[in-house]
Amino acid sequence: MMKLTTAVGLKSEIFVPNTPPAVWSPLTKPLAECRVAFATAGGIHKKTQKPFNLSGDSTYRIIESDTPSDELMVSHGGFDNSDINKDVNAMFPIDRLHELEADGFIGSVAPQLFGFMGGGGNVKNFKEKVGPEIADLLKKEHVDVCIITGGCGTCHRSATIVERAIEAKGISTCIIAALPPIARQQGAPRITAPHVPIGSNAGEPNNIKMQTSILKDTLHFVEDAESFGSLKVLPYEYRHNV
Amino acid sequence: MSITQETLKKHMKDPAILCCLTQKGTVIGAEELEDPTIFPDMIESGLMEVTEDGLLIEDVVGKTLADDADALKSITADMLVEPVLPEIENKPVKPVTQKNKTAITDSTIKDNIHLEINELKGLSLDLPAGFSLGQIVDSGSSNETDETIEDIDKGELTHFEYKVNEVKIGHESSFENGVLTVNENKIADSLKIPLVKKVSIDVIKPEERHVYTETIMDVVPIATKVEGVLGEGTSNILKGAVFMLTGIDEAGIQIHEFGSSEGFLDEKMAFDRPGAADEKDIIIRVHVVIEENTGMERRGPFAAHSALDVIMQDVRDSLKKVRETPNATYHYQDIYRKGRPKVVLVKEIMGQGAMHDNVLMPTEPAGVLGGQKNVDLGNVPVVLTPNEVRDGGIHALTCIGPATKEMTRHYFREPLVHALADDEELNLMGVVFIGSPQVNDEKMYVSRRLGRTIGAMDVAGAIVTTEGFGNNHIDFAANIEAIGKQGVPVVGVSFCAYQGQLVVGNQYMDAMVEINKDAEGFENEIAAYSSIAEEDANRAILMLKTKMAGIPIEAPERKWDASIINANQTITNESVE
Repeated sequence: MMKLTTAVGLKSEIFVPNTPPAVWSPLTKPLAECRVAFATAGGIHKKTQKPFNLSGDSTYRIIESDTPSDELMVSHGGFDNSDINKDVNAMFPIDRLHELEADGFIGSVAPQLFGFMGGGGNVKNFKEKVGPEIADLLKKEHVDVCIITGGCGTCHRSATIVERAIEAKGISTCIIAALPPIARQQGAPRITAPHVPIGSNAGEPNNIKMQTSILKDTLHFVEDAESFGSLKVLPYEYRHNV
Repeated sequence: MSITQETLKKHMKDPAILCCLTQKGTVIGAEELEDPTIFPDMIESGLMEVTEDGLLIEDVVGKTLADDADALKSITADMLVEPVLPEIENKPVKPVTQKNKTAITDSTIKDNIHLEINELKGLSLDLPAGFSLGQIVDSGSSNETDETIEDIDKGELTHFEYKVNEVKIGHESSFENGVLTVNENKIADSLKIPLVKKVSIDVIKPEERHVYTETIMDVVPIATKVEGVLGEGTSNILKGAVFMLTGIDEAGIQIHEFGSSEGFLDEKMAFDRPGAADEKDIIIRVHVVIEENTGMERRGPFAAHSALDVIMQDVRDSLKKVRETPNATYHYQDIYRKGRPKVVLVKEIMGQGAMHDNVLMPTEPAGVLGGQKNVDLGNVPVVLTPNEVRDGGIHALTCIGPATKEMTRHYFREPLVHALADDEELNLMGVVFIGSPQVNDEKMYVSRRLGRTIGAMDVAGAIVTTEGFGNNHIDFAANIEAIGKQGVPVVGVSFCAYQGQLVVGNQYMDAMVEINKDAEGFENEIAAYSSIAEEDANRAILMLKTKMAGIPIEAPERKWDASIINANQTITNESVE
């Protein structure tokens, strides 16, 4: 016999979450007629705008879609910024969106796109303010589809909260996730998952082919996904050599 | 969404709610029912109602609907064709999924509770009659502890500790009669490291803490090997003085800025935490300026740590020569405690590259040179002995939130390692360090390796900790699951509170210890504030032993609540006394 000190009445101290209820707005028209927007929790903003507070920020920046990509930058404390410093399209594929419009793959790029810093963010603020506000602005511009990228872990949570608010407004959404389990657990309606590291969620920097493919496949998935929480793994792989 | 047969069986005592609009004449089964595990979220968001006259799942399965019925409302007796005679007094009015684990009540404890522990051979626990909830159970009697249980000595580490009374900056490193001199000529050597642009050293005395500091990158203990390799033999260590690394880039941006901790030192450090400087320590501050825009890339912060190491190595070399009588001597034994339940401590460390990395097993205690970075090792699990950890086997390069990161000194004094190693009721097999990789596939890869490593150790219990919060919680959940799946009881230890709420979870995460110490539950940017302290270690160990003994750990509240932690602490303090 030996001693083992135990106690009765201990209680687990941390809540372990379940997925929130479904939000679902299926796409009702062909992509070639859709107005497509983009939002990222990866801390992208115009160089002329106020940078995000790197330790946690619940504000967002409106990025007019005619902003040249070299006038954009990143302020984000949650991951290695070097890929975005090389090519902002790695997180926020604004150039690829314009190319898809020129090719007739989508109807148009929405006039306003959005950047926020999802890391360490205040859940309540994203749920009650940022998400609904961005959703309202998108709805006002008659946006049909909004694609989203996360960034770090908590960014995926913030990104998904905003995504759910947009989807709840009747706009079809999909998150391109580097961390699909977080997006799924947080209740993302649609998830595509290329094999990419945090920091280049939308594909390898300066790899136009990969970025285009990820974006096209994601848009197709907005058409094809049948139910809430659908996830599609995309066959693109990029390893960030840190 | 409907549920599976398996979920159905688990939730027979939960309220019956239709998942969708259901037609008259339908025979109710799993396909028609909503998943009870999401009820709390649904109720909270106003999407669902559970009424008092609602039936339980066991009442409705196989019954026929009398009329068309709406989704997300309680099924009541009048909605069914067949009569149901519910025992009203036993019906819960709220979902019970979170509560029904509290199996022990005063009425169940009549004479004796006999508990069998599957993971142990031949152990049985006889609990005293008539104890009440919250009471400590000491499951052995006094004469049993006198039995000789053979221990196997696996190695000894001796720390000779010398007290520092004064620190000077000079031209030769030395330690004599309590006076430590740091050689500032070594700055020239540290400037040879690529990306390092400027280095300065100054001394901050205990009574002069209200000084401005750039972000606190690390706190590093002063220790050196005198005999043997790291983790065995002897080391000389200094008490009363500690190095602190701070850094910015040439543009003045704080290095590894995810909530950096620049500001007045007295407001920016939680003194006396295992990873921090103590109130009475003399702090030797090494401030490093690195090349512009490299602070958020892997090479930048590492250059700063390497510059510090150059200066510290000169101090270590002088410390090797000390021949004075130490102020204190500590003997640490790595012991295999035969017959006691085997346990393991798993420490998840950051491994996302950039500024999220650590050096494992350097040549010198808490040093940099000679070690391997966990990112370079692919973040796979690496086993250290308790003495290797206590002798400075980890040099932390991690940048994540100041309050929740574990600095180098934390590992040197890690309360869980010390408490588990010293606990005579347990047989600590080792401390496993596992990195948190950047890519999701890699996270799953290393978790699986961890599961197999722990499986091979054949342990009866495990504690898994993580620093930080956010994407590393994916690994944290996966690591706990990988161990739990082997049938090993696990306790998880993390900062979650408000800001770090878990983003993923699984069924094995039912015994969790919260290390937040901020009143609002935020990462408050005060270095070491919400890192593991001795009291957290004690709660985790008691919770592990309790779970190993098969005694229920109650389900958590849905939201972070400091009073739960305080209640557990009270129970724990009584048991530790």
